[in-house]
Amino acid sequence: MKKNILAQAIALALMASPLAASASEAELLKRLDKLAAEVEQLKAELAATKKKTDTVEQRQDALAAAPAAPAAVAVAAAPAAAAPVSMAAASPATMLGPNTVLSSYGEVNYTRPRHDSSKAQTDVARAVIGITHRFDEKTKMVAEFEWEHAVTSASDKGETEVEQLYVEREFNNGLRAKGGLFLIPAGLLNTNHEPTAYYGVYRNFVETAIIPSTWREAGLGLSQTLDNGLSWDTGLTTGFDLSKWDASSTDGRTSPLGSIHQEGQMAKSHDLSVFGALNWRGVPGLLLGGSVFTGKVGQKTPDFAAQDARLTLWDLHARYTPGKWDLSAVYARGTISNTEALNQTFAGQPTPVPSSFYGWYTQAAYQLWKNSDYALTPFVRYERFNTANGYAAMPAGLAVATGPNEGVWTTGLNFNVGEGVVLKADYQKFKVDTARDRFNLGLGYAF
Amino acid sequence: MSQNNVAAQIRVRKKIGLPLAFAMAGLLAACGGGGGNSASTPITPAPDSGLSQVASLGKKIFSDQSLSASGKQSCATCHNPDNAHAQSNDLAVQLGGANLDVPGFRAVPSLRYLNLTPAFFFASDGTPTGGFNRDGRANTLADQSQRPFLAPHEMANGGKADVIVKLKQAAYVEEFRQVFGAAILDNSDDAFNRIQLALQQYQKEDAEFHPYDSKYDQFLAGKVPLEAAELRGLALFNNPTKGNCVACHLSAKGSDGSSPLFTDFTFDNLGVPRNPAIAATADPAYYDLGLCGPDRTDLSNRSELCGKFKVPTLRNVATRKVFFHNGYFKTLREAVSFYVKRDTNPELWYPADASGVAQKFNDLPEQYRKNVNVTEVPYNRQPNMPPALSDSEVDDVVQFLGTLTDGYKAQ
Repeated sequence: MKKNILAQAIALALMASPLAASASEAELLKRLDKLAAEVEQLKAELAATKKKTDTVEQRQDALAAAPAAPAAVAVAAAPAAAAPVSMAAASPATMLGPNTVLSSYGEVNYTRPRHDSSKAQTDVARAVIGITHRFDEKTKMVAEFEWEHAVTSASDKGETEVEQLYVEREFNNGLRAKGGLFLIPAGLLNTNHEPTAYYGVYRNFVETAIIPSTWREAGLGLSQTLDNGLSWDTGLTTGFDLSKWDASSTDGRTSPLGSIHQEGQMAKSHDLSVFGALNWRGVPGLLLGGSVFTGKVGQKTPDFAAQDARLTLWDLHARYTPGKWDLSAVYARGTISNTEALNQTFAGQPTPVPSSFYGWYTQAAYQLWKNSDYALTPFVRYERFNTANGYAAMPAGLAVATGPNEGVWTTGLNFNVGEGVVLKADYQKFKVDTARDRFNLGLGYAF
Repeated sequence: MSQNNVAAQIRVRKKIGLPLAFAMAGLLAACGGGGGNSASTPITPAPDSGLSQVASLGKKIFSDQSLSASGKQSCATCHNPDNAHAQSNDLAVQLGGANLDVPGFRAVPSLRYLNLTPAFFFASDGTPTGGFNRDGRANTLADQSQRPFLAPHEMANGGKADVIVKLKQAAYVEEFRQVFGAAILDNSDDAFNRIQLALQQYQKEDAEFHPYDSKYDQFLAGKVPLEAAELRGLALFNNPTKGNCVACHLSAKGSDGSSPLFTDFTFDNLGVPRNPAIAATADPAYYDLGLCGPDRTDLSNRSELCGKFKVPTLRNVATRKVFFHNGYFKTLREAVSFYVKRDTNPELWYPADASGVAQKFNDLPEQYRKNVNVTEVPYNRQPNMPPALSDSEVDDVVQFLGTLTDGYKAQ
């Protein structure tokens, strides 16, 4: 019986893979990880888990390359009583036609500061529509369009943005090449940022303040997944624009890179950046990886005092999902060089350009209860980060105090309704800026 | 004396006197001479200036003293190109009129860096913003240029037609006709309008009015360092708890890479002392209230705006001979000291009443003294508190302000 369920799950995952391809590659791999975890639970079937998983990957790639229509038919014909995990794989996305898939995610959040309830706030934080179109078995287009904060107009705080827009082509040797606007493979969350994919109402601070998720650049990328579980990514893209730095604003303190990213909006491209990422999934449920991104950020801006400034951001990440556990950790560190002259022009201003910033977190979640429709997963996370860890030297008397090493405990739970909807609640306790202590509630979905 | 119909919503007429034909001899000669012999030759841009034909005409008009009632006063007389397009003497107000003996009411502002000034408007939070003249009542550089020709205390023409009569005698009149049409001088209002446009175009096109070549500009570009005292001064200038000058006089590049103009185009009431050097102040009932009058009339019922004057650019401030709208202060150091010691040591700035108490904000009627900015750093002090800047820190800020003078040549 168990074997049958497993077989069904794998079969459905494989059949649904062309649909899953509408999500990011990382999303696909995450689902695969989850599948592997399920497999692990079925001890009788675990003898050849690794081989099976590798096989799954290979066959999935092969199936993803196959025309979508037959797969869609297969999904439609799949028995409704399939295991939940297979439902998860089968449920995403809506077919618009034989080769085009619609997807979406969104979240609505409520926040209540512990010490100042007058600042309680509800926000339709984001609504995203994704469209994936497969031109042929090897070529697809992926687009995501996002609205933030419900309203976008000249006098509102909302944003409308193209979050991804790229074309990907696969080659016979497993290489994939893509061009356009795509997410940089840094950390655990940037390429896997749907609200159903992370714990807590808000994305963690390390992967928003240090890694500016959702971080995308326009350019070219090349990637490959090897049979041994290793995958690599590399590319040449646009980078950051340091001339956007506003020393009078708090934006640079909130997220140094978030304040100078270009998001494909008429991005200055004199100086391009390069990135590389390595991830290893050789053991079921385990992901080990790291990334680096570097490029000059002066962009040859006329009359700019930091022409030679260079940004480098790197991270190490790990995730392990044995059984009901979901354990993860990320360390990320950024540096910006050659900012001495620029920071002198900001003398006396509150937010000069930091020479270094960093953050790390560790997180543990445990699936406490689950039935066919629901799953309850409490979690706890500790983060430590500093967006202004250091500054280039300034003349005597003008030195700027570095920022605090903020520490944040977040504890709460995710309550999944099926695989596409999540209700969240958490409490966040700040070590330094205790005025930020807050309760959060969230509703999210993704398909 | 008809109103300029282009500047419909803007009341005109104003002061800013001007006397003295100053020593911009070379410039004036060069400007005044061109174009007179070109009756039938095509008009081409002056080969050396790169200005358009209209702007080139504007340049000649700018320096043409014959367009004044006295025959001795041009725009350049008070807005001397050699003094950053501001006055060259240290009179609080200039003298004008047919005999150059009619005193004005406000100090001469520099014409530098005005090309990016927006028309007057109220920002979404109600802050009055933009406009030309110290009360913002002209919406464009062209509008602004009308008053000096016609004001009795300036060039003192009886009306636009008077100006055009003089223009017909100018050496460049044929060039004027060729640019604006053979019949342009038949209608004085139209012709005067073209004079205004030409002056505006000159100020917009000629980089002399906005060269962005001060030491500070070069420092922002990473080309020259600031001296230690200058850098300390910049830090004090920017520091929200010290000078806080940056609250109004923006010092950083814009997010679009634009150079700072050292003004946010807003208006403020600083409670500057009454200046007895202005003839009009002999009348105790006379008050210059800026936004709410007497020159500007459309906001006269907005009592909360009374006493507010435009925040000027600080570019070239070290070349100014007098400071603030009424020219009360004669040195930059005095002006900076006023900011930080206005409230800690009012006796330094204001005359004492019969009981020996300093009459703070004595250039405002009693009911408007509450409008004075007393909340923002550095005006948030009380007597016996230390000023926001020490004497040596004031020196540093003055040093820094010296870096804002155009035409810096690295040693």
